[in-house]
Amino acid sequence: MSINSIDGCIGCGTCVKTCPTDVLRLDPKSGKAVIKYPADCQICHLCRMYCPVDAISISPEKSVPVIVSWG
Amino acid sequence: MNNSQENKNISRRHFLGIAGGAVGMAAIASIGFPSNWAANKIEIDINNIEQQKNETDVLVIGGGIAGLFAAIKAYDAGSKVMMVSKGRLGSSGQTPFAKGIFAYDKNNSTYSIDEFVEAVSASAIGTNNKAYTRQVAEHSLARVNELKEWGFFDSVLCNKPFRKPIDKRGITVMERIVITNLIKENGKIAGAAGFSLDEQKLHFFEAKSVILCTGAGGFKPNGFPICDLTHDGTIMAYNIGAKVTGKEWNDGHPGQAKNAADCFDGWHGMFTKKPNITNVGIRHDLGVDLNYQAYILGNPLKMGRPGSEEPGSKVKGGPYVPEEFRRREGLPEGDKKPPKRKRPDNDGPPPGMAGDLVGGSSAGMAIHKSEGLVPINDKCESNIPGLYAAGDALGSYMAGAIYTQIGSSLAGSAVQGAIAAEAAAEYCKDIKLQAIPNSTINRIQEEMLAPLKREAGYSPAWVTQTLQGIMIPNFVLYIKREKMLKAALTYIEELRDHHMPMLRASDLHELRLAHETENMIISAEMKLKASIMRKESRCSHYRLDYPEPDNENWQAWINIFKGDNGEMKLEKQKFDSWPV
Repeated sequence: MSINSIDGCIGCGTCVKTCPTDVLRLDPKSGKAVIKYPADCQICHLCRMYCPVDAISISPEKSVPVIVSWG
Repeated sequence: MNNSQENKNISRRHFLGIAGGAVGMAAIASIGFPSNWAANKIEIDINNIEQQKNETDVLVIGGGIAGLFAAIKAYDAGSKVMMVSKGRLGSSGQTPFAKGIFAYDKNNSTYSIDEFVEAVSASAIGTNNKAYTRQVAEHSLARVNELKEWGFFDSVLCNKPFRKPIDKRGITVMERIVITNLIKENGKIAGAAGFSLDEQKLHFFEAKSVILCTGAGGFKPNGFPICDLTHDGTIMAYNIGAKVTGKEWNDGHPGQAKNAADCFDGWHGMFTKKPNITNVGIRHDLGVDLNYQAYILGNPLKMGRPGSEEPGSKVKGGPYVPEEFRRREGLPEGDKKPPKRKRPDNDGPPPGMAGDLVGGSSAGMAIHKSEGLVPINDKCESNIPGLYAAGDALGSYMAGAIYTQIGSSLAGSAVQGAIAAEAAAEYCKDIKLQAIPNSTINRIQEEMLAPLKREAGYSPAWVTQTLQGIMIPNFVLYIKREKMLKAALTYIEELRDHHMPMLRASDLHELRLAHETENMIISAEMKLKASIMRKESRCSHYRLDYPEPDNENWQAWINIFKGDNGEMKLEKQKFDSWPV
């Protein structure tokens, strides 16, 4: 996982709009943000920085294998 | 909050061992993915999709800093303007992460504009377009002063300062709409089409003029915040006949070895800083020299702040560096020493330049402003009437095929957005809005939604990761030679011919990924073909089999365009000239 958890979400939807890679969506039932597409997270933290109630915590590792050019 | 835990997915050593190249494909593909591969469970009611038609004079595609200036300057020049973005204004593309912006102030520089242009040209070994180099120097201060008024320098995040001038003018901004097609009628641009990420709705835009502010792109690499950038604008424009340039150049940023995909920590807190202003300081920042060192010596490599150590000095050979830019004691040498420059306001070294490194953090991206649509003049105009591009979507060669001036990337996008806008607004004055024929709308709708209709096929995530495995290895994208480029091209052509037509999508998010994946495949083909054609080494294009610059044959850019039968064609255009 990249986005670890969303705790204390007020359902404002800012993170959904803010995420460049469309990782987050508002759950139609609860109205709260959910991590819908974790594999596409680029770990840029924009959602966390824009969140008005500091509800998002993020871990540094990618949920899919990482390809690099030399290692 | 930002917590860490050890990666439990897969042993990194095991993974890197098999990720070595095209031969590793089957192995990579077999690694466990978090999603279900087996069936395409389509969640969209394909028979219940709405259509919305929108009309405007100037359509700006993209919501970064180029798009911002394109929209407000076209409005100020009297056009009706609409902005559409697959992300959010100021929160997608590379703009949110660019913290230095160049402003040339003649009252505060030891360089004249002529000297600035000459110094950039010397570093860029002739690859820059002097008209665009001059333009960024001439206009950057005015753009920076406007940004100051809107509070850009007072805020870490740029949505609010960007909204200020947009809201003041009442410009319509449509966000989270993925544009997939540009539309040309009667030889001129007629609009664009795309789909919403949030509702089952397609959007058709009838526009007199379109300005592409769609940024550059990469192969959704790990370590650079460009995973939303897949050269969409470039490929859409190529598909309707625009010429594209710069595909052989490479941004050579390395990334951190630990959690290589972690952009935020890899940039050492830079994302949390407010933007600052940079002044003249011409550099010759290759990046690919580090790739060469890694190729010859293997990893681990270490690198401190630029200038603290000459990264290429440990190995013989490698990319050519002009004499006056061979660094000693950390400063470029030349007739003039650059004025003492304020370092960007960050605590650590620049991205990916601390600790243990891995390569390819920005894989698939060329140097800023060196790839994109071929301009036919200094007004950001493409070879398709009414179609303009600005910033990283325009192959303006403002800085050349290498990084020469810190902060000019952001400044160049702002400057070119404004230039393109004024030209587009002028063009609109004599042009009537063209109706998009129903036959075109029907054809585009079919193409756009095709992945949602395929019950069987290939998931975009799998095809993307397969493409990464083919393209990203050091010995394909960075340290090039004909044999490997041709081998990789064979794999990419397979993706193009067999897998691209079978991309599938279960929902609107995956539909976006499917279209992005298509664009990456075509961009990969362009990169390989341009790299094969350029039989020399220069700036950020390095060939093991042709390691020196060839000034006799290669004082030229490579333009790529679609031939009459749909085939990809390549041609040379002399440096510092306009297309004939």
